Amino acid sequence: MKQYRLRPGRLIAKAVLALAGFLAVFPLFWTALNALKNNVDIITRVPKVIFTPTLANISYILGRDSVLTGLYNSAVACGAAVLIGIVLGLPAAYAVARYPNRFAGDIQFFVLSLRFLPPVAVAIPLMVIWLQVGLYDTLPALIVTYSLLTISVIMWLAIPAFQGVPKEIEEAAFVDGYGAYSVFWRIALPVAARSLIGAIAFSFVLVWNEFLIALMLSSSNAKTLPIVASELSQQGMNVPWGILNASVVLLSLPPLLFLSVLSGFLNSVFRQKKS
Amino acid sequence: MRRRSSLPVTFLVPTLAILLVLSMVPTLYAIVIALQNRELSAPGYSWVWFSNFADLFTDRRFLNAVWVSVKWEIVTVIATMVVAVGLGVLMFEVASPRLRNFYCLLFIIPVLLPRVSAAFVWKFAYHPLYGIATYPYRLITGGLIFDPLSKPGTALFAVASVDVWQWGLFFAVIVLKLLETLPPQPIEAARLDQAKRWQIHAYVTLPMLKAPLISLMFVKMIESLRSFDLIYVMTRGGPGVATETLDMYAFSQGFIESGKVSYASAMAVLMMIATVITFTMLWKRVQA
Repeated sequence: MKQYRLRPGRLIAKAVLALAGFLAVFPLFWTALNALKNNVDIITRVPKVIFTPTLANISYILGRDSVLTGLYNSAVACGAAVLIGIVLGLPAAYAVARYPNRFAGDIQFFVLSLRFLPPVAVAIPLMVIWLQVGLYDTLPALIVTYSLLTISVIMWLAIPAFQGVPKEIEEAAFVDGYGAYSVFWRIALPVAARSLIGAIAFSFVLVWNEFLIALMLSSSNAKTLPIVASELSQQGMNVPWGILNASVVLLSLPPLLFLSVLSGFLNSVFRQKKS
Repeated sequence: MRRRSSLPVTFLVPTLAILLVLSMVPTLYAIVIALQNRELSAPGYSWVWFSNFADLFTDRRFLNAVWVSVKWEIVTVIATMVVAVGLGVLMFEVASPRLRNFYCLLFIIPVLLPRVSAAFVWKFAYHPLYGIATYPYRLITGGLIFDPLSKPGTALFAVASVDVWQWGLFFAVIVLKLLETLPPQPIEAARLDQAKRWQIHAYVTLPMLKAPLISLMFVKMIESLRSFDLIYVMTRGGPGVATETLDMYAFSQGFIESGKVSYASAMAVLMMIATVITFTMLWKRVQA
């Protein structure tokens, strides 16, 4: 076959791809490696690949109250916001997908347009509001604010997921005497589950990674992990790099856990398009 | 068979009501604050109407921030699309299905990272003395110092490179998936006409993907507005004001330097108006 002949062009293309793949993961890998190094092994002009690993950085990070509080706050705020997003977003998405009305287009645009709002424009007034209500720097304030993000994102991604459920199955269930609600519960939800889990995972990653709103809405009690991690570096270079690297690794782990779920979600989205 | 049911109302109305309240209250309140002269340090305030906005247009730092934001938007969007299309086409051309899956997995990793993490990873990498990314330069030049983050000319590009690292690679995966959904016949036809590989993509496949590629660019334009985390961690808007985008400047006016919440809010309102108008127009265009 002609296209599998070895040509310099193909070789160069393969090399470029390999380089891109290397660049995609190497910086992160290097950070993880630095998290296992003593400071003397990090601050070298020639990068050290061979060193005696230490767990001191990681145990230091996991022993700090601020980090543990941040971890707890992040888990609670993101978990609760995602839960609210599921409870409110999924049914609404189903209604838009399956009960078309003349507002459907407008509703979809409204949900998307929430993404246009600059985060500062939301965070400044909310800070003033939460201060006045006395909820500034608390987890409930953060959860309510994040719910705006999770509901809209879950809704946006779940509409096509529900539309992908074959109509015939639902019609058959109606014929069998199911009501509208039980069709949603027993047919649409389980059939679309794979895509929906992708949408939910995506919304979790989004709020877990969120920084600006958390920075503005917390001063001490409700700091999430990204804020704590960024503050470690504010103490200048006095903080050993290994500790900073360890905190970066800790912060990055939860989203990476969803790697396979999200790449599967991506595949299913495009398989739908093809058929 | 679908009978009239209460489902759309019970499922939609509460959610939409909550979304409306959660989005409109801060939006309207942002406008209210922008018309007052609130400061974080003082509890009292009065109405100053449009004087915050008038002040903004004579504030050279604000005008600089507008310019930096526009530059940021252009650089990151174009670079992301170039990287995405380039790598997507390369994967489509030379990678076997198994290798494609492998690359796709690798290319999704950066975008999953919290922006704060990505910013730190590269802040270390760009360190002039100990960074891994500046090491090749030190090696070649025999120990000369290159500090991309502290030079006004390169700082914006150094931060933008992190953004492209996250989004360009991720979009390359999407471009590949889009290419895979294309019917093979037009490509075969072009091949029979002796078209070269790059010609097939430039004149056949990419034009066929025009609509999804434009949507992709639209998504990137929206995401590029969220540059704050990267800039905050990597440069804090510096050196000087070289990387001070609008949200960075609004944040430093409102919180770090002076606590002028109203002034910051006026800036945020202008940003909001500009983005909502621009993106609504673009969206209607994309949909049309």
